[in-house]
Amino acid sequence: MSKSKNSKAAKVATEKRDALLDLLKNQGAQVYNDLDKGKFPQFSVPSRSVSNIVYDKKLRQYILGNTASLRSSRNMSQLRSFTQLMWLAFFANRLVHEKKSSTLRDVYYSSQAFEVEFEDQPESDNIIVDLEAVLTRPREDFHIFPEERSSIFGDLTIEYTVPGYEGRRMKLSDHPDGYLIGPSLSSAELVDTSAELVIAIEKGGLFTRFIEEKVDKKFKAIIVDTAGQAPRATRYLLKRLHEQMKLPVVILTDGDVYGEHIAMVIKSGSANAAHLRELTVPDAKWLGVWASDIDKFKLPTIPMTESDIKRIYDLQKDPRYQEGIWKTELEIFLKIKRKAELEAFSKYGLTNITDKYLPHKLELAKSL
Amino acid sequence: MSKEVFNQISPSEFFYRNRDLAGFSNPTRSLYTAVREFVENGLDACDQQGILPDIHLYIKAVDPEKPDPKPYVLTVKDNGPGMDSNQIPLAFGTVLYGSKFGLKQARGMFGLGATMAILYGQITTNKPVTVSSSVDGKVLHKYEMMLDIQKNKPVIMKHTKEDTNKKGLNVSITLDGDYSKAGSKIRDYVYQTSLITPYATITFDDPKGEKFQYKRIVDTMPPAPTIIRPHPHGVDVETIRRMIADTHYQVPVLDNAMIDKVKKELGLSKKNLNFEGIMARAEKKWSSLSRPVRVIVAVMSFLNMDFDKIMKIRLDDIDLVHKRLTYYDFGDSKLVTVDMPKSSSYYKQLANTVQGDSLVTFLTKRFQRIGQATAIKFSEFASLKAEKRIGSFTNEELVQLSDSLQKYEDFLTPDPSCLAPLGEEPLRKGMKQFFKPDFLEVYQRSASAYSGFPFVIEMGIAYGGSIPPGKMTVYRFANRIPLLYDEGSDVVLKVVNDTDWNRYKVKNESPVVIVSHICSTRIPYKTVGKENVADREEIEKEIRLALQYLSRKLAAYMSKRGLAEIEKKRANLYLKYLPLIAQFSTELAGKNKEPDYKKVIKDLNNVQVEE
Repeated sequence: MSKSKNSKAAKVATEKRDALLDLLKNQGAQVYNDLDKGKFPQFSVPSRSVSNIVYDKKLRQYILGNTASLRSSRNMSQLRSFTQLMWLAFFANRLVHEKKSSTLRDVYYSSQAFEVEFEDQPESDNIIVDLEAVLTRPREDFHIFPEERSSIFGDLTIEYTVPGYEGRRMKLSDHPDGYLIGPSLSSAELVDTSAELVIAIEKGGLFTRFIEEKVDKKFKAIIVDTAGQAPRATRYLLKRLHEQMKLPVVILTDGDVYGEHIAMVIKSGSANAAHLRELTVPDAKWLGVWASDIDKFKLPTIPMTESDIKRIYDLQKDPRYQEGIWKTELEIFLKIKRKAELEAFSKYGLTNITDKYLPHKLELAKSL
Repeated sequence: MSKEVFNQISPSEFFYRNRDLAGFSNPTRSLYTAVREFVENGLDACDQQGILPDIHLYIKAVDPEKPDPKPYVLTVKDNGPGMDSNQIPLAFGTVLYGSKFGLKQARGMFGLGATMAILYGQITTNKPVTVSSSVDGKVLHKYEMMLDIQKNKPVIMKHTKEDTNKKGLNVSITLDGDYSKAGSKIRDYVYQTSLITPYATITFDDPKGEKFQYKRIVDTMPPAPTIIRPHPHGVDVETIRRMIADTHYQVPVLDNAMIDKVKKELGLSKKNLNFEGIMARAEKKWSSLSRPVRVIVAVMSFLNMDFDKIMKIRLDDIDLVHKRLTYYDFGDSKLVTVDMPKSSSYYKQLANTVQGDSLVTFLTKRFQRIGQATAIKFSEFASLKAEKRIGSFTNEELVQLSDSLQKYEDFLTPDPSCLAPLGEEPLRKGMKQFFKPDFLEVYQRSASAYSGFPFVIEMGIAYGGSIPPGKMTVYRFANRIPLLYDEGSDVVLKVVNDTDWNRYKVKNESPVVIVSHICSTRIPYKTVGKENVADREEIEKEIRLALQYLSRKLAAYMSKRGLAEIEKKRANLYLKYLPLIAQFSTELAGKNKEPDYKKVIKDLNNVQVEE
């Protein structure tokens, strides 16, 4: 216990927590005072409409523009969502104070104890994003997590800050299935690592293969399974590994347009989270599978679907796909209209990907 | 002198053979039609005398155990003026036929239907009709009688007198009916009749022992209609022919009174002369004789008849154009037609007497709203001589006159004083009592006309209250009679269905009732059954205008109601959500006491309303 008090990570976490609590208190006080003065309270909520999402070249991510909409309790049609937002702030405040966490679904059900109804979970999810935008803090900060979990494995020592585990340390190479990136891991302090690299990989199957093949040791790497599109907690963890542990981040995905975009989101964020910062690793590198690799390694392929092709056209309009490999690979995908999965390397033997492809790509990455 | 013989059938027999036309086709329809005829006669009788009607209808099965169809006793009692004792046998025991040229609005026509019902009852059950009447509220005359169908004569089986303290008429017949099938229609009929007759109390004791009573809602009666002359657009050749016959000479009735009058004027009251003597006396006293007496003398001269002979005939026709005279000889029981000798000086006398008025006088005297100037202009239009005597018109000229009357456009519109609409206030009160609605509006259009017949549209619309939601209900009335059958093809429903109710903020399944009342001297029914009104252009237009007026009023109400509902909903929302906001903000702000949000609720009037 004494250790955590002294630790730097705990201090950072506490500061961050206090700042959030202050923010919540200020918002609450504002509404309280308005009501007390006989005024209808209101919030300014940054607009999350497409027209207000712009790409910031300096930050190298999508951010919200200056448009904000007023959510007023005076307006009858907004009264309900105003109340929902107030309830969520109230609920988040309790979570943070009590150091408890909640899933998105929990939030939906918890509301019912307070006579604040949500039609369905999408409605409550939407209000959570509103609160993120108002506070400019990701939901994980106020202890609300999605159900989806990704995993991590490697030589990394962490120290928990969650209640009951404060100060307890853990080495993330002790369990061969890896560790779930949940609320406690997300909030843990990163203490020490011998790794020199973080490899984010799109698929759980390959994550297991990499552990089996001791990629962590062979390449001095921490391996992260993003389980498809990387959840926020994972992206946040990747960012901290990069910034606090000074580890470069590389990404391996399927050889298709969705894989390319998974890499891009880790690198520079998603439009969905344009209201949030600190979730991106702008220096992260996409190793493959590239469209050009398909021919180069003679990989077995699958034809693209209509929606695959449509997605390519969509991404071609995105400012981030206007240069470098991002641009050229998209063009090749469009040309060959075929895709290949990471597992395709198994054609050359199960270990081909770790023995041949990965070293080759890591070498190549140095020049990227 | 030539003689022709015709076989006649009596009017009773004619109606007996054609009873289907009058609505007596089967036990179900007959029971319903009989109810209507007697109830409407009762209401008409009260209306004409300005008496607030109190009508009591009883239907009782003769043997309740028997399955339908079976004999029922149908009794209708009114508090009207009653009927003179000596008129009763004729009124209820014969089928009358007549020609009425006066126009006014009434429920039934000539009381034919009631006689038909009596006839039907007698045919199906062979039971007499019982009629009780008191005109003075002291003596009640009670008749039991049957109809001699072939002779069209009443057969009085019993006539008694008793004391009473009430005026009115009570008619009771026994007839084959099917109440299990006709019941719902009869109950609807009584209900709807009460709605359109809010100044009446109507009670119905049904065969199953149930009592339906609709009490008087208003104590004032609509003003009685006046009898008026016809409008030129509303007559055809046959009507004109009858009008001429009716006015210009009334074929004299050779009854005792008339003969006495002739005798008196000739100074022969105490003395009887032979034919020649009478003629001589007439010639001598000619200048002092009245016009009807001159006609009788002329007729006697043509027929070579003295008083004894002339009393045994009935004059049927004096046809000047063809110089023929037709009479019915009671002695020989046959019709006789004779040529009138043109050479006779009496012929000229008769011709002058019976040729009647000039065209202009005929038009101004016999039609409504035609003055001297219009009549002369019309004569020019019709290419007929203004001074030509109407009795001397040839058939061709009559047709020309009739056609021109239809075509001439400068006649004034028909006089509506012969109409008796219910009036906005009684209609409003009736609808209010019947439907207890949240919203009610009534409207009476001013009079209009189609084909020379005046008409007035009255309408009412009611919304909400005790009206159940569902299909919009339309109650149709014509001359205060509910129209229950054949609603599909009716002009009122056509207009209602053509209306875009969304425009008036009336959604499907809204609790709406529409009452429509058409008053006219002649309702243009589509079918013989008189249950649906034809879509005459003029009538459709008036209905449309009335409905538009009412719908706009309803729309205004619906808007207001909508706003009030939003207002209420809004207030409820704030009462629900503001306390929650207060609770959450208190904990967030770390306060102990909740903010005084009630001030905000007081300020609710400034809240924006957004849909």
